[in-house]
Amino acid sequence: MTLSVALGPDTQESTQTGTAVSTDALTAPDVPWNLVIWNDPVNLMSYVSYVFQSYFGYSETKANKLMLEVHRKGRSIVAHGSKEQVEQHAVAMHGFGLWATVEKATGGDSGGGKRGPGKGKGKRG
Amino acid sequence: MAKAFKYGLKGISGFLEPAERELLRSLFADVISMLEPADRGSEDPLAAMIGLDMEVREPSDRALRRLLPNAVKDDAAASLEFRQLTERSLRESKIGALRAAALGLDKDELVLTPADARHWSTALNDVRLVLAERLDIRDEADADHVHQMQDWSQAEDVESYLALVYNFTTWLQESLVQAMLQSLGARP
Repeated sequence: MTLSVALGPDTQESTQTGTAVSTDALTAPDVPWNLVIWNDPVNLMSYVSYVFQSYFGYSETKANKLMLEVHRKGRSIVAHGSKEQVEQHAVAMHGFGLWATVEKATGGDSGGGKRGPGKGKGKRG
Repeated sequence: MAKAFKYGLKGISGFLEPAERELLRSLFADVISMLEPADRGSEDPLAAMIGLDMEVREPSDRALRRLLPNAVKDDAAASLEFRQLTERSLRESKIGALRAAALGLDKDELVLTPADARHWSTALNDVRLVLAERLDIRDEADADHVHQMQDWSQAEDVESYLALVYNFTTWLQESLVQAMLQSLGARP
């Protein structure tokens, strides 16, 4: 990401969202697909934060935290959900011009034993 | 000179000189023409109607690949399947935003509704993504290098001209996004 012109990133980090995983339904850890946003040198930091706030409804603090994670680590998991949910998010992110991919969550919960298969495996069409 | 976008009582407003509007109009038109799919007369009309595109392939042009990226890393088959289901509508929504932004250029003063602002911000972003590919911006150092090009009197070749255009659109988008963030903060 890039920080253009003289405007500073308003990134007062608070400890409000202490860990990357919050209680937010979108980021509940027990669902098996992740939406990943990748860093690139073009998208403005302010724009990425705006997209996280306006599309996902995240607070400014949380949006900035995720945005900085993308910037510093090269990628960040910004939402979890069923395969359909994260795919829908990915299309929306591509609409905004962010580089998003979907991936199966790792950590042994991909079988989804406790939550049932739902419609996650269904192929459309 | 253009004035930065501002958030105020009227919403988000800005001002562009006629030459700047002309420049943006042509940039928007360029990206629209990149995104318009090739005409396929023999296409299945039902598939077209529901947005499927079974003929779709990963774009060979790097800039287009950045606008329409693979959705599954290191999995060409899954990415292609995703494209078949979604790429047509993604192209259409991007073209829609670019057209809406271009239409707004017909007026002298820019006063943007929230929907206009969203169209403008994604349109400017797509223009910047394309320019960045043409300028070979691969990392932050490349971006910094391009950013140093600020003096229009030094525009001697295509690359320096593109760099200046890139920096102009970057500045414009940054000011718009700052105004949009303010409007988010003012939301009831």
